[in-house]
Amino acid sequence: MRAVIRIICIALLLCLVLPAWIPGAEVFAQDRTETTTSKYCIDCHGNKGTVKKFADGSFVLAYIDSHAFNKSVHGTLDCTACHQEFSTGSHPERSFRSKSQYQIMASRRCRDCHSDTAISSRSIHVALLRKEKAGEAIICMNCHSAHMMSRAGAGTVAISEEKNCMGCHSREGMKNFINGEMISTRVDAAEILASPHKDIGCSDCHSGFSAGDHPKNRFGSKREYRHASAEICRRCHYDKYSKMAEGIHYKMLSVGRLDAPTCVDCHGIHAVSSPERNRLSIVKKCAECHRAVYTAYAQSVHGGALLNENNRDVAICTDCHSSHSMQATSSNDFHDEIPDKCSNCHSNQVVMGKYGLSTDVVKTYLSDFHGMTLSLYRKETWRHYGPPPAMAVCTDCHGTHDIARVSGSDMRQMKSKLLKRCSSCHPGASENFPDAWLSHYRPSFTVAPMVFITEQFYRIMLPITIVGILFLVLLDIWRYCKNR
Amino acid sequence: MEYSDQSNTDEQIRRFGIYRIIEHLALIALFVVLSVTGLPQKFYYLGISQSVIVILGGIDNLRLFHHLAGVLFAVLVIQHIIANFIGVAFLRWEPAMLVTLKDAQDAFQNVRYYLGLDDRPAQCGRYTYKEKCIYWLIIIGGFQMIISGLVLWFPVTATQYLPGMFIPVSKMVHTSEAMLIFLLVVTWHIYDSVLSPDVFPLNKSIFTGNIGRKQMKRLHPLEMEEKSEAVTAALSGPPGHEMAEDYERMGT
Repeated sequence: MRAVIRIICIALLLCLVLPAWIPGAEVFAQDRTETTTSKYCIDCHGNKGTVKKFADGSFVLAYIDSHAFNKSVHGTLDCTACHQEFSTGSHPERSFRSKSQYQIMASRRCRDCHSDTAISSRSIHVALLRKEKAGEAIICMNCHSAHMMSRAGAGTVAISEEKNCMGCHSREGMKNFINGEMISTRVDAAEILASPHKDIGCSDCHSGFSAGDHPKNRFGSKREYRHASAEICRRCHYDKYSKMAEGIHYKMLSVGRLDAPTCVDCHGIHAVSSPERNRLSIVKKCAECHRAVYTAYAQSVHGGALLNENNRDVAICTDCHSSHSMQATSSNDFHDEIPDKCSNCHSNQVVMGKYGLSTDVVKTYLSDFHGMTLSLYRKETWRHYGPPPAMAVCTDCHGTHDIARVSGSDMRQMKSKLLKRCSSCHPGASENFPDAWLSHYRPSFTVAPMVFITEQFYRIMLPITIVGILFLVLLDIWRYCKNR
Repeated sequence: MEYSDQSNTDEQIRRFGIYRIIEHLALIALFVVLSVTGLPQKFYYLGISQSVIVILGGIDNLRLFHHLAGVLFAVLVIQHIIANFIGVAFLRWEPAMLVTLKDAQDAFQNVRYYLGLDDRPAQCGRYTYKEKCIYWLIIIGGFQMIISGLVLWFPVTATQYLPGMFIPVSKMVHTSEAMLIFLLVVTWHIYDSVLSPDVFPLNKSIFTGNIGRKQMKRLHPLEMEEKSEAVTAALSGPPGHEMAEDYERMGT
């Protein structure tokens, strides 16, 4: 008999210990903890569609996924451990003004177990506790979820990263900098969803941050923070970043000029969009710093068409200055590349055809003294005698940002300025001098008849003479052969 | 210089003096320099032009060489004109390079000969119509080149006296006339003096100053006839340099 009792005791002991060793035992063990009370609650709250409504019309889902709950860190607890007012015999009817009021009340229950001291080990909690002291309530389930909370730092989160971050960052908050500046920490999720970054997670950019980690980064100023953000962009957009590193803005930054623009200044922070979609916005962005240039540009033939007609064909800042590797405009290289920049559009027959403009402007420039010399200078990779002298390029006659239409009164105005412009390189030029330039026209009877007649004379005479002479030479050889 | 023995066909006759030899050598050198530095400027977009420009140290250097050669060419042409005016006026030089009606007749006859309508080629004097043609092309074209070149070199000064339009006109004249001269020289003159079966492999007379009797008779039969009297006269007198001096006096 004693032996039978012993066997029964051992069997009972094994029944208690074994489940801890076999796979799935944890679930099994947790399932065992589902008390009668819990089962009772789940009878109703296990139905999808169960909601709790609030006075302001908001609601929370009262549906509980018992399986998920059992797997959560609180799976061993009975419903009444948190919902203390409720039991199998009591289900008090409570009303709340709003969902947030309800969540604030519910969060207080969390704090019964998770003391301030305990949660202070996480920096994000420290920040929240500080806010709480300032009068702002903490809602635990914004980050941790109500019933599917996982163990902090366990490597998994019961809710998505976005939900986790947006729990706090969807609300207004401020980030302080050492110099006293502040920026809002609020993130508009809709902006991200409308951006090309909609498919990447918060921590893809904000590396180091996760559901479990929220490192506290301190920056001297808002500008320092902005420039640090550019480093984030570099991780994926290295090509653009390296181009930017060649540009004038990066050079400014490298000598400590924090007012130099960086990625987010032009592209936006979360509302990133392809700049090509809105060329006007690019101009406006540049105008934020380059106000005087913008004023001149706005009155030019290009700026006028962009601002008044939203014309997408006209040149904007980045077409000439490039978007990332913009050079100092005082550099020789920049000056010498201007004909290329203008010819991008002005030698494009499709674009120019729309406005009745000739694409000859580029060809006539390149075949004339200045264009030809410049193109040859640019091929000289080495020189024995210093940098080449500056050759007149498009902007030297037409202006830079204030480029005017070359017809009507604007044309006359331009011509009147031409002598002055010529004289800057050709001192002592007389009034006749600018007429040497045929204003991009090809010679014809109406434009430059003298040049046209000379050209036609040689065009006809030269081949006739050469062919005639070759004919005589061939006849001479033929006669010689015949005579032999 | 001794060419009294007419059976000796290799006998050399003095045809050009040292002045003409140097003039021609200088002209060749300048023609080459001006062509090498000028053509790449006209056809600047070609790869070979750009290679030449790079080899010569860039477009600025190329233009410097072109300008220097142009100045020397102008000096050569102008001294030639002055020297010949003086020579013809005061030193009994014969103006043999002047174009006459006979040159047109010679050209016409040669065409007939080529076509088989005449059985003998044109009988030319000291200079054939071909040589005169090239000569006047260089002289007249040379002046065009010098003037248009100066306008292009000094456009600011030029437009103080001339309308601005003269600059593109000068450019057109300079480049087109250069092409004309260049092509005529490399086709006609090179054929006539180097490749032609009459003179192949080279008519050396302008380099050595001498011409073979046989070649002289073939290329310049009238001059040969004209001078045979002088030869006879020279033979009757003491042998010496009269013939050579006579030719040298003839200048062009």
